[in-house]
Amino acid sequence: MSNSVIKGAGYILVHVPGMVMDHGTTQTTEKVVNPDSEYLKEMPSHMRSYEQALSYAPNQTYIGNLSIEDLTAMGDPWYEEGKQVEGKRYGKFGEIMPEAEFILMLQICDAFDLVRLDKDFVAATRPALEAHPLMTPAILGLLKEGVDQDDINHYVNEEHAEAITLDGKLVGYVKRAHDVDANLSAHVMFENLVAKASGVLSILHLVKNAGIDASEVDYVIDCCEEACGDMNQRGGGNFAKSEAEIAGLKNATGSDARGFCAGPAHAMVEAAALVKSGAYKNVIVVGGGCTAKLGMNGKDHVKKGLPILEDCLGGFAILVSENDGINPEINLDVLGRHTVGTGAAPQNVIQSLVTDPLAANGMTIKDVDKYSPEMQNPDITKPAGAGDVPEANYKMIAALGVKLGQLQRTEIASFVAEHGLKGYAPTQGHIPSGVPYIGYARESILEGKTKNAMIIGKGSLFLGRMTNLFDGVSFLIQKNTGKDDAPVAAAGSGKQPVIGIAASGTELGRENLEKAVALAAKKGVKAVIIDGEDCLSKMEEMLKAGEIDAAVASHYPFPIGVSTVGRVVTPAEGKEMFLANTTGTSSTDRVAAMVLNTVAGIIAAKACGNDKPTVGIANVDGARQAEIALNKLSEGGYKINFAESSRADGGAVMRGNDLLKGSADIMVIDSLTGNLMMKMFSAFTTGGSFESTGFGYGPGIGEGYSQLVLIISRASGAPVIANACAYAAELVNAGWTKIAAKEYAAANKAGLAQIIEDIKASNAKAPAAAGAAKIEAPAKEVCDADIHGVEVMDIEDAVTSLWAKGIYAESGMGCTGPVVMVNASKLDAASDVLREGGYIK
Amino acid sequence: MAILQGKKAIIIGDRDGIPGDAIKACAESAGADVVFSSTECFV
Amino acid sequence: MDLENQKRVLEFTEEYGKDNVVVILGAAEGEAASLAAETVTLGDPTFAGPLAGVSLGLAVYHVVEPAVKEEFDPAVYDEQCGMMEMVLDVDDICNEMNAIREQAAEV
Repeated sequence: MSNSVIKGAGYILVHVPGMVMDHGTTQTTEKVVNPDSEYLKEMPSHMRSYEQALSYAPNQTYIGNLSIEDLTAMGDPWYEEGKQVEGKRYGKFGEIMPEAEFILMLQICDAFDLVRLDKDFVAATRPALEAHPLMTPAILGLLKEGVDQDDINHYVNEEHAEAITLDGKLVGYVKRAHDVDANLSAHVMFENLVAKASGVLSILHLVKNAGIDASEVDYVIDCCEEACGDMNQRGGGNFAKSEAEIAGLKNATGSDARGFCAGPAHAMVEAAALVKSGAYKNVIVVGGGCTAKLGMNGKDHVKKGLPILEDCLGGFAILVSENDGINPEINLDVLGRHTVGTGAAPQNVIQSLVTDPLAANGMTIKDVDKYSPEMQNPDITKPAGAGDVPEANYKMIAALGVKLGQLQRTEIASFVAEHGLKGYAPTQGHIPSGVPYIGYARESILEGKTKNAMIIGKGSLFLGRMTNLFDGVSFLIQKNTGKDDAPVAAAGSGKQPVIGIAASGTELGRENLEKAVALAAKKGVKAVIIDGEDCLSKMEEMLKAGEIDAAVASHYPFPIGVSTVGRVVTPAEGKEMFLANTTGTSSTDRVAAMVLNTVAGIIAAKACGNDKPTVGIANVDGARQAEIALNKLSEGGYKINFAESSRADGGAVMRGNDLLKGSADIMVIDSLTGNLMMKMFSAFTTGGSFESTGFGYGPGIGEGYSQLVLIISRASGAPVIANACAYAAELVNAGWTKIAAKEYAAANKAGLAQIIEDIKASNAKAPAAAGAAKIEAPAKEVCDADIHGVEVMDIEDAVTSLWAKGIYAESGMGCTGPVVMVNASKLDAASDVLREGGYIK
Repeated sequence: MAILQGKKAIIIGDRDGIPGDAIKACAESAGADVVFSSTECFV
Repeated sequence: MDLENQKRVLEFTEEYGKDNVVVILGAAEGEAASLAAETVTLGDPTFAGPLAGVSLGLAVYHVVEPAVKEEFDPAVYDEQCGMMEMVLDVDDICNEMNAIREQAAEV
C-alpha cells in the first residue's frame, strides 16, 4: 500500500492581549489568590501592541515569512531591541490576525447565539474582516449586527457571562449555554469557541495553500486540548466537524483526538493510517488555540522586565492525502511509541520515540536530517526556568546516541546544530509539539535540501490526574519514493538499484573495472565507476544523496562492530557459501566477534533468499567457545540451524574438508582467517594475483549500520567485481536493512548483548590474572590427575591461576584436547579455582 | 548520616528535566519512603 | 511551584514533621531548581501559593546532586537519570542548590 503524503499546511497566530488578561489561567488564578498583587498591577504595561507582535521574529517564522535559518542566524533572545523584523500580517503558511477581527470570528463560529457583540464595534470592525482574502460570503453571512452596551453590561454583571474586552473596553460577551451545567458555563463556552474559531482560520489557510477544493476534504481530526460536551457527556465532541462546517468542507465528517501535547502527533499518525488504508482520501488534522495558556509564564517575564510574550493564540492545519508521487510521505514503518511499559526515565522515553523505531528500520539517529520535537520558543521558556526545550530534546537524542555507540561524545554539539531546529512556536501546549515544522519540512524535502524529518509529539498525561504516565508518538516524513508499492525501506527510489564502484588503487587497471560494469549489465545490474583518489568520499556523498543505492569498494574503514560477510563458490561441488566474516571487526574479542559474525552471516544469507541457512563454525581458536555461546543464543529463542560436519564424528564445528565442500551455508570464522580463506577461494585457480571466482568480501554488516558498502580487493578481477555488484543489488532489492533490524531485534531478545558481555568478561580475566605480576610455580608435585575442558589458548593462564593459589599444575595435550594436570589430592580445589576463573564450566 | 534512608521523600519532578517517577525509583533505591511524587510542566 | 504541590508539601510536613521529610527536585535548570528549593525552605518567593510566607526549612536536594546521588543504587540512577546528566547543566544546578541551602541556613 502506498504511503500518504503531506499536501499542505496552514499556520496562524492571533494576537489577543485582552484575552491574556481575562482568560489566561496565570492571571485568573492570581486574581483569586492575590487580587492586589504587584504582578497584576504591572502586567498591563508589559503587553505588546499588534505591530510589536507582528515584528517579533519567531512569529514571522511561524507563519512562513522568516526562514528558520534566518531566525537562527539572528541569535536568540529575539525580544531584544534591534532584532525586530518586517511585520507582515500574511505569510505563505497563514497570518497573524488582530484581536478585533478574531472577536468577530468568535461570533461567526457561534451556532447557539451565545456570543453577542457591541453593535458599534461590529460596524467598525466588519469592513476589515470583509477585506480578508479568505472570508467567503457564506462565512460573513453568519455575522450578526450586534447589541446595545446596556445588554452587554447586564449579561456580564448579572448573568455570569464571560466578558470580551478590546483595549480594556467591554465590546461583548459569551453567555452561558445552560444555567446549571458547568460544562456549558460561559467560561467553558468561551474557551471552546476560541479553539473552534482559530481552528477554522487554520483550515481556511490550509485549503488555500494546498490548492484543494474544500469539497474534496472527506475527514477532519481535531487535536486541540479542549473538550466540548454537556454534563452528560463532558467530552462528547466534536470540534472537528463543527470547524469543517464553518470552513465549508461540506463532504467531510470528522472526530476529535486527544493526547495533551502529543495530540497532534497522534492525529497525524491516525490521518496517515486512514489515508493509507484507503478509508479516506483527504484528511485534515487541525488544532486551534488555547486561552488558558496565554501569559502562562507572565510572572517570570514581568519580573525580568520582558514583554508578555505569550500573547498570541496558535493554530495549525495539515492536509494528509493519497500518494501523488510528488509530496513528502509519512512513513508509517518508522513509528515511535511511548507505551505503558516504557516508563518515565528520559532515556527510555527518547529510546521509545527515536532510536527504537529507527533501529527497527535499520537506521541510526544520524540518518534523520531534522528532528522536530517540541518547538517551544526559548524566549518564552528560558526566563521561566524551563530552559531551551527543543535544544534539550536534541541533547537527549544525541546523548542516547552516545550511549548506543551511534555518536561520539564530542559530536553532541555538532549533532544538535546539524539535526536540530530553533524553537519558534508559542507555548500553546499542543501547538508547538512537533507539528510547526511540517510546513517547512515539506518545502525542504520537495526542494531536495533535506531527505527526511522526524516529528515527535510528547504529552504530559499525568496532568489529567488519571495516570502518572507520560506519553509520546513520533513518525517520519520522507522524500516521496513513488506511488507504487515498492519496499519503502530500500534506499533510493525503489527502481533498479544503482551500484557505485570505488576501486582506487586496483592492481588490475580501469579496464578491469569497465569489464566488470559490462558483466554486471549482462546480469541486469547497473553499475557506475567512481573515479579519483577521493572516490571514497565521493562514494559516501552519493550514497547519502541516494544517487547510488550501494557501493563496491576496494577499501573502506568500517567502525568496530561492523564486518563483512564474504560469499564464495566452494570447489568440491560448486556450492555457494557465506564466509562470516572476511574483513572488519565485529568485536575486539575474537569469540564474541564470531558470535556476532554468525548474526551478520544469517542476515546476508536471508537477504539473498535463503530463509533457513545452516550455520557451521570453522575449527579455529575459540570455535568451541563460540559454539557454546551460539547454543545459548539459540536456546534463548534466536533459533540457529546448525550444520553437520561431513566428517564421521559430525557436529557443528567444521573441518578443512567442510570448507572445501561447503557443508554449511554460512561458515562462521574470525575475520583474519576468513580473509585468508576468501583469498584462497577466489584466487586458487589463478595463482593468487587475480581473483576470478566468487562474490568478493561482501557487505559490512553491524547493528544499526545502514550504509551498504561491499568490499573487493585490489586483486579482484572483473567477474568478482560484477558478482559483488549483483550481490549488492540482491541486498538492496531484498530490503536488507529491514532484515538486519529484524535479526538483531530477535537476537537481542534472546540475550545477545549479555552473551557477548559474558564472553568478553571471561576472556578479559585470563590476561589480567597473568599480567598482574610474574607468578612463580609452587613446589613441584606429582601430577596424576587431569582437568579437561580448558581452551587451548587459555591453558597457560589456567595453570598460572592455579600457581597463584598455591596449587602446583602443569599443562599438557591429552588425546581429546588440552589438559591441566595437578596432584590428585588437589583435584577438587584446582577445579574450583578454574571454574571460578571461567576456564572450565 | 544518610540523607534519604528511612526518610519521607516528597518528589517534585520536571517534565523537561527529570520526571517524578524517575526520581522516585532512585529515592526508593536509597531506602526512602516516597510519600508524594509529581511532575511539573512549564509548557 | 505549582499550588497543589505546595499544598501537598505543607500537608506532608505537618503529618511527618519537618525533620523526617526530604524534598527531591528534578528541575531542568538551576534557576528553576533554586526557586523550588526556596519555596520549601524559606517560603514561596512568588507569594502565590500556600507556602507564601511559610518557612518550612525542609532538607531539599536536586536528584543530580552528589550528596543524594551517592545514596542511590548506581544501576537505578544510571537507568533513570544517566542520560540526562549529559543534557542538564549539573554544575549550575548544584551551585544554585548550594546557594539556597546556605541562605536558608543563615535564617
